[in-house]
Amino acid sequence: MIGLIGLIIMGSGEIIKEKNFGVTGLNEALIVTVRGVIAFFTLLIFARLLGKQQISQLTFFDYVLGITIGSIAANLTTDLTSRAWPHWVGLAVWTLLVVALQWLTLKWRYASKYIDGEPTVVIMNGKIMEDAMKKLRYRTSELLEQLRQKNVFDISQVEFAVLEVNGQLSVLKKSQHQPVTPKDLNIPTDYQGIDTELIYDGVVVEQNLKQVNLDRAWLDKQLKKQGIYDPSEVFLANLDAQGNLYVDRYQDHLKKLTDIGDYPGPH
Amino acid sequence: MKKIIYYLLPVAMLALFIAIMLSGSYLKQPFGEDDNVPHKIALVKEHVRNADWESAQREQNKLEIAWEKVTRRIQFSMERNEINQLDISLARAGAAITAKDQAGALMELEEAARHWHNLGR
Repeated sequence: MIGLIGLIIMGSGEIIKEKNFGVTGLNEALIVTVRGVIAFFTLLIFARLLGKQQISQLTFFDYVLGITIGSIAANLTTDLTSRAWPHWVGLAVWTLLVVALQWLTLKWRYASKYIDGEPTVVIMNGKIMEDAMKKLRYRTSELLEQLRQKNVFDISQVEFAVLEVNGQLSVLKKSQHQPVTPKDLNIPTDYQGIDTELIYDGVVVEQNLKQVNLDRAWLDKQLKKQGIYDPSEVFLANLDAQGNLYVDRYQDHLKKLTDIGDYPGPH
Repeated sequence: MKKIIYYLLPVAMLALFIAIMLSGSYLKQPFGEDDNVPHKIALVKEHVRNADWESAQREQNKLEIAWEKVTRRIQFSMERNEINQLDISLARAGAAITAKDQAGALMELEEAARHWHNLGR
């Protein structure tokens, strides 16, 4: 509502002017809309071209890159003092350079090391590598902070710590401080696999049902066992690798909901 | 077929965007007699040089109408700065013609011609 009033006030300049002088007849909002659509979809296509690496492992350079590309796209949309084309070319050049570097580092390991850098061992056999840390301009307080983030509060528990290219610390604890696994205790385990969605938002995913060699009759039977007579009652149904069906209904029939709020708020 | 559409859609979109952004140089060109801006600037200049103020005023009005027609076509692809400056030059030229100021009118018309030349470059 407030936005609508704002729009009316901003647009009123067009209505109240006495005479349409020259180019004031052009609608800036319309131009920004068209340029916004161009920038939005160009960015979407370019982001897909850059791939998943962008979000999964952001190095400092990737971070700067993201900001720069985003900033060019913003200028492309709202900087009406210059044409859209040079901004678009800038966007394309940055994207193509990134793709070129990605390709180069994929094909040539030396280039990869040169451009992306290498992981550095900062704790080796429990000893802190001061010289390596100095080279990286990496402070002891940062090391301790990152260790704490990995649930390591006692540095003597660490056998190896590696500072990765993206600034993350990978920690290998000494074997006596590692959690016991079923293998250590010789406990047999089942194959875990991943769940398959059979009903999503009340709709049966036939493709997944076929993938696990099951059919609608089986699913209906399983649902009936739980007192469900129509898949539309189900919010989510997942089948795990052991053949167990997890079903969550829209109606949860919970009498009392746990409230984790510790201060009265709007809800 | 699905794969072709998968690749064709973004390529087609990018091609469309590039066409819109580069359309200015083409849309700047006259489509008829009444939207030929550089020709009309030259005509007004000619009348101003000959001190034919009545004809200059008439052609100046036609020039402004032609310019307005062109701006509507090029607004999505051209820089607003250059459009604004050309617009102001035309307004000043109009005032100079009304005041029968030959030097002022020629200066403004020359500037308008230069802005027209720079538009979209």
